[in-house]
Amino acid sequence: MDEKLINAENLSLLVSDLLNEKHLVICQDEKAVGWKSINDAGKLVINNAGVPSNISYKEFILPKTEPIFFFKNEKENFNLVEKDPADQKMIFIGAKPCDARSIEIMSKVFNWDYKDKFFNKRAENSIVIGVACSYQDEFCFCTSVGLSPVTEKGSDIFLIPLNEENYALRIVTDKGKEFIKSYEKYFSDGNTGASKAVLEKINIPAKKFDTLKVKEWITNNFENKLFDEAGSICIGCGQCAFACPVCHCFDIIDEECSYTCGRRMKNWDACQFGQFTLHSSGHNPRNNQSKRYRQRIAHKFKYYHDKFEEILCTGCGRCSRGCPVGIDIAKVAEEINLSANQA
Amino acid sequence: MNELREKAKDLLQSGTVKVIIGYTGTSDPYRTKPFIARTAEDADKLVFNNYCVNNLAVYLTRKEYKQNGIVGIVAKGCDVKAIIQLIQENQINKDDIYIIGINCNAQVQELGKEFGSETIATKCLNCFVRTPRLQHTLIGTINELPKREDVHLEKLKKLESMTSEERWEFWEKEFERCVKCYACRQVCPLCFCDRCIADKSIPQWIESSAHKRGNFSWNIIRAFHLSGRCIGCNECERACPSDIPLSLLNRKMGMFARKEFDYAAGMSLDAPTLVGSYNTNDRQDFIK
Amino acid sequence: MEEKKFEPKIAAFVCNWCTYTGADLAGTSRLKYPANIKMIRVPCTGRIDPLFIIKAFEKGADGVLISGCHPGDCHYNSGNFHARRRWILFQELLSFVGIDSSRLQFSWVSASEGKKFVDIVNEVTNVIKEKGPFEKYAKINREFVIDE
Repeated sequence: MDEKLINAENLSLLVSDLLNEKHLVICQDEKAVGWKSINDAGKLVINNAGVPSNISYKEFILPKTEPIFFFKNEKENFNLVEKDPADQKMIFIGAKPCDARSIEIMSKVFNWDYKDKFFNKRAENSIVIGVACSYQDEFCFCTSVGLSPVTEKGSDIFLIPLNEENYALRIVTDKGKEFIKSYEKYFSDGNTGASKAVLEKINIPAKKFDTLKVKEWITNNFENKLFDEAGSICIGCGQCAFACPVCHCFDIIDEECSYTCGRRMKNWDACQFGQFTLHSSGHNPRNNQSKRYRQRIAHKFKYYHDKFEEILCTGCGRCSRGCPVGIDIAKVAEEINLSANQA
Repeated sequence: MNELREKAKDLLQSGTVKVIIGYTGTSDPYRTKPFIARTAEDADKLVFNNYCVNNLAVYLTRKEYKQNGIVGIVAKGCDVKAIIQLIQENQINKDDIYIIGINCNAQVQELGKEFGSETIATKCLNCFVRTPRLQHTLIGTINELPKREDVHLEKLKKLESMTSEERWEFWEKEFERCVKCYACRQVCPLCFCDRCIADKSIPQWIESSAHKRGNFSWNIIRAFHLSGRCIGCNECERACPSDIPLSLLNRKMGMFARKEFDYAAGMSLDAPTLVGSYNTNDRQDFIK
Repeated sequence: MEEKKFEPKIAAFVCNWCTYTGADLAGTSRLKYPANIKMIRVPCTGRIDPLFIIKAFEKGADGVLISGCHPGDCHYNSGNFHARRRWILFQELLSFVGIDSSRLQFSWVSASEGKKFVDIVNEVTNVIKEKGPFEKYAKINREFVIDE
């Protein structure tokens, strides 16, 4: 495959060029809270060795709140104004493999029975520059869900830090190829030996559980009390769903409504919220936290795989790291695996 | 720890309590998580150390613990303040709970880091409820605490010295990051409303969208609903994935309630609540 | 091109028994007061949730006036006492978040104080006119607006 080299100085110049051309350059913020678009090449942060940010960059592809149309009621006329997403390229720099795969995984559901133009437009306009990850803590489990710290799938371009000043670059997709071509002057030819050496040094953690076994167990154990342990302490906030790079449930509401005008908004929603499945009749099929937690696990490890042959999880561990009551999704999956093995 | 486990075992086996809400260890020595002990075997899993940050009183208002037998709860001073406030507001009955009070030697600000003078929680620095004010049994001994600067107080003073414009800018930047996950609300023992005003959609008083206006509305109203009720456990700030300094808002209102009305939340079982009562001599110099 | 002078929009939450009647008296006495004020009648100031104030700002108010019965004269005995306590807390909170206390004004106006009502409205209108439009909230109100 094609490999190139870039040094830190050229990377900075590249970012400046991108900013001058009015593209969005998005990287993790210094405090590892979330991702933000920078306005200065000096603010670039490539977090390959640190903890994943609390919140993923999902909000740039699937905004936490977005208007899908506006309406105006005039005397003779009813006007529906659609607001298409801006035609602005977004370049994500420094996405670990667990982040980089998020767009691909989510695009399956957004192109299923309905092609969601909001998602697709943004996904089309995105270029993901991934980076090989050298961080690992007790919450990470990318290898258990088919990824690894050096997985290139999901990135358009994959960076491998050779040392403080230099990155090797692997071109993964055609989009990546186009991008490199446009900014050719910043890259030099690659040295596959050096990048291979760095990759070999990266520790690939052992798998914690087998997703197929987990899926099978869930299929046959819907009423199992295993989910009660998490359900008894889960407080029903939306942290896990909102921090997750692939959770995508949304709520449609109307806002700013008077007789003459209003707008329809698409907002993030979470299956852990108590009212997520509340019907207007007052009936709530998932009326306790155990049922809601079961839904989360089942959706991620079974239902999504049934439909799209993808696990709806990248093993980044954000949900577990940020859970106010310490519910660790990898541990739950491990327990399920254990249960499946004992059966 | 053994004292706690023995006591818990005894309470469960004798049928004095139906369940005990406590903490249990995890594979990380610097982390614990909430745990519901139902049997003597479970009781052996209970722990208490410097990593028991959760305010377990948040579970007491759950439906499954109401009128279902006495609920035991392992509680440190700040948690007991929440329990007292809940009793004061008639949300739980004193006779329905059994408080296993702990003489607390402070908690960490952030789980996963070893306890020490750098990592001790800011709220613990000036704690005056090391021994909980209400308990049915007391476990543990008080030791001296490491010291460090009260960073929150410093930030508060800085904010108070800013102009109105600067403060707005500060909070605008903070609230912009809010994603409306409601972790702050869910983790708070005093946000116990069956249906939060933010969830009311006809009419929609607080916009559920996570845009600036909706975020301002939510955070301001939540801070107001907690004025005079927040007991300062800072769980909201810890739970927030966007690192919004919620403790500043709540602490400011707590300090103001003390200064203006000589009222502190979670101190007295039968005192009237701050906003639920009034004094004919309340200040009115701002009213024309 | 003559620039239109800024006319503030002021939402006034007034209690039915005292201030509203007082305002009515101002009307029947043919006393004039600025039309900047939009009155919302509530049974008692105790009914006023601070949410109303935030909502008013969200809907474009440049200022909010809250007015009710004098302490001791409340038609429901103690509604205004409860309200007063809430306002003390809420004002402090708003000022801490960066909203000037001049944007939120309070008064006690009884049913016979038509003149006082007019004076208050004039005062508040002038103060807000001086302060200018409530740009801070106007900015966040405009966050998702279609281009005309």
